[in-house]
Amino acid sequence: MPAFAARRQSLSSDPTYETRVAITPRKSRLRSDSDAAIGSPLRKSPRLCKEGGPNSSPKIDVIRKCLKSSLNLSGSPQEKRLYENFVERQTWDPREETQLRAVNEALHVSTAPTNVVCRENEQNRILDFCKKCVKEEKAGSLYVCGCPGTGKTLSMKKVQVMLVDWANKEGVQPPDILSINCTSLANMSEIFSKILGQNHSGKNSSRSTSSLQQLHNLYSQQQPGMKMILVIADELDYLITKDRAVLHDLFMLTTMPFSRCILLGVANAIDLADRFIPKLQSLNCKPMVITFCAYSKDQIINILQERLRALPYTVFQPQALELCARKVAAASGDMRKALAVCRSAIEMLIGDSVLSSLDETQDQQKPAANGTMSNQVRIDHVAAALSKVYKSPVVDIIISLPQHQQIILCSAVKLFRGGKKDTTLGELNKYYVDVCKSTSIPPVGILELSSMCRVLDDQGILKLGQSREDKLRRVTLKVDGADIVFALQGIRFFRNCLQ
Amino acid sequence: MAETQQMKKSKTPSKGTPRAKQRISSDHLIAPQTPQSATPAAINLRRSHRLSAATPESHPVLSTCDTPQSVTRTTKNLKNPTSILPTTISITPASPQPTESRRKRKFQEKSVASAERKKDLTSGKCRRADNKVKQKVYYKKVVYDSGEFSAGHDVYVKKRSDASSDDEDPEVEECRVCFKPAGRRVMIECDDCLNGFHLKCLSPPLRAVPEGDWMCNYCVAKKNGEMVEFAEPPAGKKRARTAREKLLSSDLWAARIESLWKEVDGTYWFRARWYIIPEETAVGRQPHNLRRELYRTNDFADVEMESIIRHCSVMSPKDFANAGSEGDDVFICEYEYDIQWHNFRRIAEIDNNEDDGERVDDDDDDDDNDWSSCDEFDSDSKEDVVYEHEKKTRLSHASLLHPVAANSRKGRIFGLQKIGAKKIPEHLRCHKQTDLEKAKSKLLLATLPKSLPCRDREMDEITTFIKGAICDEQCLGRCLYVHGVPGTGKTMSVLAVMRNLKSEVDAGSIRPYCFVEINGLKLASPENIYSVIYEGLTGHRVGWKKALNFLNARFSNENKCGKDTRPCILLIDELDLLVTRNQAVLYNILDWPTKPNSKLIVIGIANTMDLPEKLLPRISSRMGIQRLCFGPYNYQQLQEIISSRLKGIDAFEKVAIEFASRKVAAVSGDARRALEICRRAAEVADYRAKKTALSGSDASGKVVAGMADVEAAIKEMFQAPHIQVIRSSCKLSKIFLAAMVYELYKTGMGETTFEKLAMAVSCFCANNGETFPGYDMLLKVGCKLGECRLLLCEAGTRHKLQKLQLNYPNDDVTFALKDSKDLPWLAKYI
Repeated sequence: MPAFAARRQSLSSDPTYETRVAITPRKSRLRSDSDAAIGSPLRKSPRLCKEGGPNSSPKIDVIRKCLKSSLNLSGSPQEKRLYENFVERQTWDPREETQLRAVNEALHVSTAPTNVVCRENEQNRILDFCKKCVKEEKAGSLYVCGCPGTGKTLSMKKVQVMLVDWANKEGVQPPDILSINCTSLANMSEIFSKILGQNHSGKNSSRSTSSLQQLHNLYSQQQPGMKMILVIADELDYLITKDRAVLHDLFMLTTMPFSRCILLGVANAIDLADRFIPKLQSLNCKPMVITFCAYSKDQIINILQERLRALPYTVFQPQALELCARKVAAASGDMRKALAVCRSAIEMLIGDSVLSSLDETQDQQKPAANGTMSNQVRIDHVAAALSKVYKSPVVDIIISLPQHQQIILCSAVKLFRGGKKDTTLGELNKYYVDVCKSTSIPPVGILELSSMCRVLDDQGILKLGQSREDKLRRVTLKVDGADIVFALQGIRFFRNCLQ
Repeated sequence: MAETQQMKKSKTPSKGTPRAKQRISSDHLIAPQTPQSATPAAINLRRSHRLSAATPESHPVLSTCDTPQSVTRTTKNLKNPTSILPTTISITPASPQPTESRRKRKFQEKSVASAERKKDLTSGKCRRADNKVKQKVYYKKVVYDSGEFSAGHDVYVKKRSDASSDDEDPEVEECRVCFKPAGRRVMIECDDCLNGFHLKCLSPPLRAVPEGDWMCNYCVAKKNGEMVEFAEPPAGKKRARTAREKLLSSDLWAARIESLWKEVDGTYWFRARWYIIPEETAVGRQPHNLRRELYRTNDFADVEMESIIRHCSVMSPKDFANAGSEGDDVFICEYEYDIQWHNFRRIAEIDNNEDDGERVDDDDDDDDNDWSSCDEFDSDSKEDVVYEHEKKTRLSHASLLHPVAANSRKGRIFGLQKIGAKKIPEHLRCHKQTDLEKAKSKLLLATLPKSLPCRDREMDEITTFIKGAICDEQCLGRCLYVHGVPGTGKTMSVLAVMRNLKSEVDAGSIRPYCFVEINGLKLASPENIYSVIYEGLTGHRVGWKKALNFLNARFSNENKCGKDTRPCILLIDELDLLVTRNQAVLYNILDWPTKPNSKLIVIGIANTMDLPEKLLPRISSRMGIQRLCFGPYNYQQLQEIISSRLKGIDAFEKVAIEFASRKVAAVSGDARRALEICRRAAEVADYRAKKTALSGSDASGKVVAGMADVEAAIKEMFQAPHIQVIRSSCKLSKIFLAAMVYELYKTGMGETTFEKLAMAVSCFCANNGETFPGYDMLLKVGCKLGECRLLLCEAGTRHKLQKLQLNYPNDDVTFALKDSKDLPWLAKYI
């Protein structure tokens, strides 16, 4: 009986139900909250108020002065310009949840900034191309290439919008727009049916012919009043089949006499068009290629600042941003990475501030100036975040390996000292047993050894080749021998072995 | 899927008269059962009239016949409609003493292999003096209220809240137009609103039940957007709703009886496993849900038999398609709904898995048992009575031991403890468990430890990662890659974090989310992951191409799917198996979190450290930089893990544990292996203890597993099998191998030919008084050794010129042959 009542209760107090009801009011409240935070520039962060107590205002002034003086130390004109708008802004409190959320949102990959900076040139070229095609009602193809994270897809979305705007303004009939990510196609040739479906939905009567055939028919005879269609194919290289038929057919569509198809292909490879559709060259309709270069350091800074500009407070120290930008630009120029580094730097800052608030509760005498500086992401936060991404973990991993696996690496290093590049598992076992004997450790059997080698292979330290015989599998080192020597030198046990 | 189900459904009417309701108007015969709103005193009074026909047996041996297998069998038998409608109750042979009056409640218990259990039998810890009187009595079948109920039946259960509305429980449905029961005339059921109509009352009247789907005029009109009002019932007569209608409008519950028992005070209870209607799930009713579809939950409650109304039958889709004349109370149930995680699992799969598990487990040693019940009593011995529901509820876990209020069950987990091997079903044992046996069961890989030591930092990191993602009002997609060598607690930590979060969700501090767990090894092909994800999110199985489209729409389109806005956590174990040739699957999965409003969090687990680097740059760019490394355990950590499992059990010497953990940490740092070694050591020690006990010597000294046992276990585990093979091989093979080692040593080469070897063997034999077996025999021996891969040899056709090579290092062979008893002279050649 009690179970019964309980069951009923449980349903009514089920959190899903409650929150479902509660969601809407909470949402609206939150919005107003953040509005207030943005709207009133004089609002002090609660932490400062709490610290200062009744006589807080002079302290805050001191803090502001400290800030200014510390920031005016550096000299170059460009940096000065950066600092000016920085000082005017409000301080940011990472412990305020709404603010934190706003920052996180601004730095997330999924939120597209309203204006894409640093890609105006490329965008304009694409847009001009589309405009020309639409105006002349002429088919054309364009190929956009570039490294991952250089804003290709984002720019394409932007171009779509701009094109429609332009067409409306000029009074030209805006083209139909079909944007496909080729990875989401279950079947390669599905792309044609999608194009066809866009072209004239509902009208296709003949089911027997393939959609490609229908498209051919459609584009080979003059049909007045047919709308242009703009096809944006993202990750174009997923369409590469063995005979390259799909890719070829796709580009051939634009060469049909009465084709109305504007094809914009997006992919990473710079020479995809040359390599896979050489026939196009002979037909003299090679697609125009627009390259998105990797972002340079200045561009990354620009973009990050653009994203953060909407916020009414400063989150990053300029030097911190610059460090992040320099590192990322030097490594890959991948904007996604830069954003990820920024976000993880913020997480580090929060971790720090949690720690420092713990400290503060312990001793109240802590100087307040220190506290304010922790409200911005400093260089060391960014450096820590960067090291998470770019630091090679090899040495740490080797140090933390079990002893026998270390012995294997040690013997492998000894084995490869003579300039050999690879060896077999049997050979490695011999060396391993030698090392074990010299240090009077009982060696494990060859089966165990091969399973340990597989684990090392999983960790990316060794490379184990395929072979029918376990004993004859090729073994190569995938990390530098010097790294292993460096890592093992710290352990006394191996010092003698490596001499 | 939905289409096929529709097909099945539409097939049913055409088959005969299943949906045509031919009801005997026996309305007046059956008095509706009045719900008893329950003061305990009244119950006792009423119960005192009842007769107990058979006294339950109390021999503990009987309980062994109640193994999980037999339970499965009974549930299978259930599929054929044993559910007895009260209309037909008079002809069932269920009650040996026919009831004269229905109002007078006769009660009988059949002790058909009554699975009754005494508490003091289970374990010594719960032994109490006074429990001879107080005990629950379990039954397989109970005749209650002139209905026969047994474990596995499906029943309607009253909702306590509106007991009054349960008063009228018409067994027969009335026509929706004339409000008269069916009588002799044929009724037809609308496929949409499930209302019944006389064929005559329809406009235009029908002559026969039509083939295929049929919709009533009301529904047709409603579909066309018109406002329809059903005919008002004649004055003075309230429209009676059938139990089915009430259930589907959630005024009633449906439940499955898991077990039946009599309480100490004489009241009869049963353990109910609830069914819910699609509206009650988190996703609500979906277009593919059938009208009569129910979901089985993993929610249990103990309910008094009083509240049962009558039988209904819940069937699998297959049985539903073949359903004949069960009447109105048929429901279809294909999926199990997890009330904790809000995801769906196909029932057929669950049952299959469990059957497999049981079979495997029975092969395992049967000595491991009973541990969890004792264990439970250490922690929460709230109850006076042992209730081993573990056997029956199959999927549930020990946390459900006592009939707590449903609320207090929140935050506990169902179905998560599937790390490592399957749990061994419990059997009742008469003897008290020794410490060694307890230790053995504690060290099983399948046992979920109470605490997870040594992974606090990693778990913190996972928690902050997930919390940071789902605590926001609008959840930003993220991705985390967890890597580490096998046996370092990757999956376990993630699942433990999910468990902790779940309890926070229940406490209301975190918004609810859904959680889908996928193991890459269990997918038939990488592409299937789409349909698995989609099925987990919606309980609807479609092909992967369709599922991909649906998922793309769900995760990239912000406006369309406003219904299900919970964030979604996707845990993919063995992520590296999803790598296809063009890596499109991984690309898609990792691309979704970067879309706005996707609310998707992906946690990938794999062994390889450098998986992101091996992938295409565009994928690793989308993967983000969040990594988490689980390093191999060092020996202190292993020691802590083992001793935390063995807390309170005095079965191991401390040195022995340290020895085992040091040994494992030196080679692999794999916690699974360390546990296995310790378990094996406990077994060895247990065996030793039993032997001494049998031999009659005074075994008063407590046996604990010591260094020697661990040593033996390690030897068993680490020593390569080839040494044992060599040791146990025949004389001639030994001579052959010894000659081989000798020959190889003499020449210093890696391989030798058969000819040279035969020379060596003949030389050996001549010098030591053995007879030389001849070339043919020797060749045969060589082939045999080659077959078990101690040697690597060329094809036998080359006879003398055959090249031979040892597959294992010379030292191993030497070691194995050194002290062979039958051939002591071999040692001098090696």
